[in-house]
Amino acid sequence: MEPLETISVESPDIVGAKTTKSLIKDTLADLSLTRVIVRLKVYVDPVEPVFIFTAVLRLSSPPVRIKDFAKVEMTNIEKDEVKIELSKETYVVKLLGKLWDRYGKGNISQPEQKVILIQTPLPDKEVEFLNELIIEEPQQEVLDRLIDAVALRIIPEGFRVRKHELTKTHIMFVASEDTLKPEWIERGKEMMKSLKEDEEYA
Amino acid sequence: MLEPVMYEGGVFKHNQIEELVEDLGGYILQKNVMQTEVVLLMLVPMNDLNVVEEKAKKLLGKVTRAPLTGSEIATIAPTLAYHHLPHLDCDVAEFLRKKGAKTNMVGLARGVGKRICQLTAYERDLINEHDIAMFILGNYEHCIIEKSKKLYEGIDIPIIVLGAPELKTEDVPNATAYVGSFGRILHQMRHAEELKTLDKLAEVTGTVLDKVRVEIGKDPLAIAPVRIKKELEEQIPELMDNLHPLPVTMQMTGVRVKLPYGEYHELIENIEFVEGVKMKEVAKVLPSKMRDFILIKALPKSVTGFVV
Repeated sequence: MEPLETISVESPDIVGAKTTKSLIKDTLADLSLTRVIVRLKVYVDPVEPVFIFTAVLRLSSPPVRIKDFAKVEMTNIEKDEVKIELSKETYVVKLLGKLWDRYGKGNISQPEQKVILIQTPLPDKEVEFLNELIIEEPQQEVLDRLIDAVALRIIPEGFRVRKHELTKTHIMFVASEDTLKPEWIERGKEMMKSLKEDEEYA
Repeated sequence: MLEPVMYEGGVFKHNQIEELVEDLGGYILQKNVMQTEVVLLMLVPMNDLNVVEEKAKKLLGKVTRAPLTGSEIATIAPTLAYHHLPHLDCDVAEFLRKKGAKTNMVGLARGVGKRICQLTAYERDLINEHDIAMFILGNYEHCIIEKSKKLYEGIDIPIIVLGAPELKTEDVPNATAYVGSFGRILHQMRHAEELKTLDKLAEVTGTVLDKVRVEIGKDPLAIAPVRIKKELEEQIPELMDNLHPLPVTMQMTGVRVKLPYGEYHELIENIEFVEGVKMKEVAKVLPSKMRDFILIKALPKSVTGFVV
């Protein structure tokens, strides 16, 4: 399926729907989200006024942990020291930042390009902890960008009363200038459901 | 009667055009040199326009009418958020500047929404200092109409409204003119049809300004704003070192001087013209709402009883 072929904007205001569609495309392209959104459906009624945004998401890679790109081990039973041997240098900047925060700059040394030594009183426990430490969360970054796109750029500025639902598989936003009516939220949920069904049968 | 025109041509010998216009009693308002090209914005006496056109032809340049010359336009966005900036508002402002107007961007504090939008007293006064208020609104017909009913309260200068739907001016309450095909566009306007829309906007703005000129013509100003500008630039040396863009900005009925009011207003009020009148006899020198600048508004003939 080609990205962005499944955007639909419904509105009683035809010109408004057309321009809204183009602004959604622009925003998603600006924030490189075109591949994240699988299907997208928007309903706008400026008279009510209500803006419902629903989308099915496809998030990319899972979080990156230290064990994915390095070997963590104790150096010597007599020394209170943990050794991290890197196989990839891609994440080293973020890794060092996290290590400095936890152990302090004085306790970290890098004797070789791909070796990091940490001085710590409880090396055996730290090895377990470090193996699972999350260095980068691509999914969270994508979701942050998605929120930026929808809440701060796409939904009309005056629509300040909002209800949202955000998971790793879908996003739903109902926004209005006035108090939200239950039927709008119901409509949003229905739209979400039909989008998911479309996706299943696609 | 002075006609606002723009000269576009090469840098070579362009000073001949400048000298000719000044000899004819016209004024050079702005000169932009871009590498080998030069753009002059000037006011030329209407009867001598053909002389200037002939000279321009000889220099392989082009003289076009630029009705936006000498006007100050406020381009107003409901807020300064990403919804409106940078693309659409900057495109509009830049395009009008290219056509000879001076544009100032105004972002309202509480301009959003069709029911909750408001204009503060300060914003209203600031906008009223301009020649035209250009409200850049959004996509939906209903919102534009509802918003227009109350947002422009207290604005007594012509209002041009931009939006996505193609509406008639009569359908938009309180608007002097409406231009469609804008709306919330989040990319730079550079496609052929978008550039046509901008051209249409410049045309509509020109028409509105021409109407203002006709109104002013019914009770002419005691002194032409361009004359005030020239006199200020000749008599106040500090303006030469002023780093603000256009230290003396022309408006339809006066000028904005980018010098502090407290220090300079007395000096400006007492500037004397060769005809023997002082500035305070033909114009009001007021504090501007924009920073601590000075706003000079020329008085009409009906108040002074004479024209300089």
